[in-house]
Amino acid sequence: MNTKRLVLISLLVLGALILSACSGSRTVSNNWHGLAADAEHAYVASGSHVYAVDLKNGNEVWRYPAEADTKLMFYANPVLTADGQLLIGSAGTAHPFVSLNPATGKENWAESFTKGKGAWLASPLVVNDTIYAPNTDGFVYILDMQGREAADPIEVGGALWSAPVTDGNLIYIASLDHHLHIIDPASGTSSVSIDLGGAAPSSPVVADGGVYVGSFASTIELIQSNGSHEVIAKTENWIWGSPVLDGETLYYADLNGKVFSLNTSDGSQNWEAAQSDAVVAGLLVTADQIYVVTEAGNLVALDRDGGSLWEKTVGGKLYSAPVISGELILVAPYQAEFTLVAYDAEGKQAWTFIPEK
Amino acid sequence: MWDTIIINPMTNLLLWIYDVLGHGPHMFGLAIILFTILIKVVTWPLNASQVKGAQAMQELNNDKDWQDIQKKYAKDREKLAQEQMRIYKEKGINPFASCLPTLIQFPIIIGLYQSITRALSITPFDMLKLARTIYPFQNVENIIPLNSTFLWMDLGRPEGILQSLIHTSFLPNGFPLLALIVALTTYIQSKLTMPTSSNPNDQSAQMSNMMSIYMPLLLGWFALNFASGIAIYFITSNLLGIVQYAATGRANWSNLLPGSKKK
Repeated sequence: MNTKRLVLISLLVLGALILSACSGSRTVSNNWHGLAADAEHAYVASGSHVYAVDLKNGNEVWRYPAEADTKLMFYANPVLTADGQLLIGSAGTAHPFVSLNPATGKENWAESFTKGKGAWLASPLVVNDTIYAPNTDGFVYILDMQGREAADPIEVGGALWSAPVTDGNLIYIASLDHHLHIIDPASGTSSVSIDLGGAAPSSPVVADGGVYVGSFASTIELIQSNGSHEVIAKTENWIWGSPVLDGETLYYADLNGKVFSLNTSDGSQNWEAAQSDAVVAGLLVTADQIYVVTEAGNLVALDRDGGSLWEKTVGGKLYSAPVISGELILVAPYQAEFTLVAYDAEGKQAWTFIPEK
Repeated sequence: MWDTIIINPMTNLLLWIYDVLGHGPHMFGLAIILFTILIKVVTWPLNASQVKGAQAMQELNNDKDWQDIQKKYAKDREKLAQEQMRIYKEKGINPFASCLPTLIQFPIIIGLYQSITRALSITPFDMLKLARTIYPFQNVENIIPLNSTFLWMDLGRPEGILQSLIHTSFLPNGFPLLALIVALTTYIQSKLTMPTSSNPNDQSAQMSNMMSIYMPLLLGWFALNFASGIAIYFITSNLLGIVQYAATGRANWSNLLPGSKKK
């Protein structure tokens, strides 16, 4: 009897440890990396730290914060501003939104912005010296370039995971509440919300007079600035990554691993290229190539007709959209040996980055 | 394996109930409550077997033959074990009957916790995992993301009220009302179901007593630190357990007050 009860208590304690291993609070403790680059550095938001990596050799230039803080987690794509700031918010239990010096990693603002109630998974948009920072609490916070609240936050609704975009007049933001919201910066209100039929986790792309946006409804919709909208393409599975518009051609991919090219002038499909695994991230489109990353950890280069040029196994899982800087294609694999890998346009690996512990 | 057998079916069942309820505000909390009731109904025979097993063991502890062999073979554990097994066989008692159902339910608790956190999927990576979890028949585009609001709570976060008044490093979420209710209902349930013993040396009764203190603290700690969705499960499960036990007519209400004389 005694032994039986002791076994029971031991199992309960074991269960407590198993449950403790799960995240109890809404701390965002696991997600893929955020990635951005300028001419000199790549910036990787990789959990406890944001790293600046030298593009010449893949060496670490700085990390923020210098010492890991269990309350801070960084996963959004950092944003570089025209006046030389690097903006990013924390998705940990503490939610400071900070401005860093891209050269040194030191904080620019006297105080970080801490009014966001949820995680900062989305990148901010900077327009006319105003920062529009979407939070998972469903608000877009409006700051000046010194990190002070410039206006009341705009309640959009739903968790906001992606950066807003602007056509110069209006701001468009996709939400997990199944809507694309159009914000008029002049009035500071969300004037129009369009039901997309499914959650929209990634940013729209600006088109002439509106935006294109993909969603979990497995559709691409064209949204006009007046709120009129139409489905212009359907896919077999969710569209997660942002579409890319190049001239009159729209590129997008779905979770079935199909990459599509669409002629927006007449709505006809140019081609589709099936990959061996799901495509979660947005595509990178350059003058003569289209770069696709797959969940299985492959970087694929396609020509503009959808033909495969080369394929490289990066390792881990690729969920973050690739970024180009100069001659380098940067990919940030998740759950992989490397945090960042650089390739040239021919697929030759230039360097890898593993943060020192 | 764990995902296929436990997490995926549970998550889908939760999402299906949520969808049937209309997937609006407060509905995920209701889905957890209905899910708990369903689990209780499914495990009803196990619980009944547990109660029966505990009762049989208790009666055995008060049995004269049983007490005699405890004294007689106190220094010969091997012989004592043989004699105990003989009495188990004679009386048709399974010594694990009271314990096994609890152990079987434990994976359900862990699975439910993981299902709740997966269903609420607070990060893109979690959402991607959820997408792979959902069965094809689900109306997935409509129900994702889940509305995690229930009464005053966010089911994905630890619960607390009066956060503006109470905010310490120990209680970062305010006053933990739900954690207290979890601890209280766990205490009541364990006390009601605690078997009585006339034998002062009954180790089983001593252990049960210890469990009636340990379990409320453990589950209260869970509720304090983990997503409030799991606290909703604990409270619903405890209340149903109390009702189920009271329905058998064996509930020992006098046990509830500390220091009260046992019947």
